[in-house]
Amino acid sequence: MNSRIKISILLAGVGLLLAFLPFNAARSFQLNPSELLEAAQNENQSFSVDEVARFVNNEDTTVQLIDVRTTKEFMESTIPGSINIPYEDLLNPDWEGYLNQNKVRNIFYSNDDQLATLVWTVTTGLGYSNNYLMEGGLNEWYLTVMLSKFEGEKITPRENALFENRYKARRMFTEMNSLPDSLKRQYLEAKRLEESQLDGGCE
Amino acid sequence: MGPITLLYELPQWMNLGIAFVIGIGFGFALEQAGFSSSRKLAGMFYGYDTTVLKVFFTAAIVALAGSQLLSYFGLLNLNLVYVNPYYINATLVGGVIMGAGFIMGGFCPGTGISALSIGKIDALFFLVGGLVGAFLFAETYPMIQTLASANYEGPLRIDEWLGLSPGMFTFILILAAVGLFWLAELAEKRFLRPDITSEI
Repeated sequence: MNSRIKISILLAGVGLLLAFLPFNAARSFQLNPSELLEAAQNENQSFSVDEVARFVNNEDTTVQLIDVRTTKEFMESTIPGSINIPYEDLLNPDWEGYLNQNKVRNIFYSNDDQLATLVWTVTTGLGYSNNYLMEGGLNEWYLTVMLSKFEGEKITPRENALFENRYKARRMFTEMNSLPDSLKRQYLEAKRLEESQLDGGCE
Repeated sequence: MGPITLLYELPQWMNLGIAFVIGIGFGFALEQAGFSSSRKLAGMFYGYDTTVLKVFFTAAIVALAGSQLLSYFGLLNLNLVYVNPYYINATLVGGVIMGAGFIMGGFCPGTGISALSIGKIDALFFLVGGLVGAFLFAETYPMIQTLASANYEGPLRIDEWLGLSPGMFTFILILAAVGLFWLAELAEKRFLRPDITSEI
């Protein structure tokens, strides 16, 4: 038999095998239920809003704040330094670079804990590391960081540090969110451009 | 298990070093296949020599079947393998320009470098032209940006677009390749030209 025919038959045979094999490269849950439950019970899975405020003030590069609300809500107001990964778009491969990594701690937040917890469960279940929550979400952020005031006669150094931290984050939050939409968008696009690397290629 | 590493986890010099080694292998393969001859590349257009089709299509189906087999055995995570993003308009326009340059110059960028390395003067001019084109593209990019980024589809794969399983798509592509090889050989007989390589 002609060698061309042999090679053709070999390749077609491999193809036929592949056509009937179940494909397992699709992203799937890697943690079994008990492992996921165990991860959820671990108490070091969340940060308080005060801790997040400190990250924002220090521009801490070891954390990445991720707003999982819709893009519209995100454009209205968000914590400075956050990126937006809408929860319904979570499995878009574009986000995998942010979610599936072991360099920075991803802190998810939504208006309350609900959506963020959902996102946490999915990403943790997919076997990604570094997933955290902001306790209470943006509601808690408003109550604690934006609204709380010190009332009393004498402030202790500890309270002083706490409130200074909150005031600083509050100022940054107000400044960033009072930018006009176009500037905000430019700022976010610049951030995104920075992330996307120029790829190219041909033979 | 695979891919062995993610690109951005390596230092730049190591990335370039790996590219260098792969580049040498690729250049060697191109030269071995005779692709430094513009006659061979133009032959694809006129139908008297279809080596280009056969070599590249074989490479594609072997890589496709191989990576899927590796993925099936858990040796390669295809989710981490880079998929080129798809810009419909840019691809169409770029394809036409590339094809025109291909038939006029008789090289594609890679084979141009391969031909230059064995001392072909036409390849030198081809590459100068290519660099001028790249320069013009970069300088006029703000003007054509709308076209370049129109109809962005993201990293789309054909099997996802057709709703097929990747294995099924591979099978269909292999059948298509075998069919095309057969057609190509018919064309080679039909448009046969005398071999003049030895005369030059």
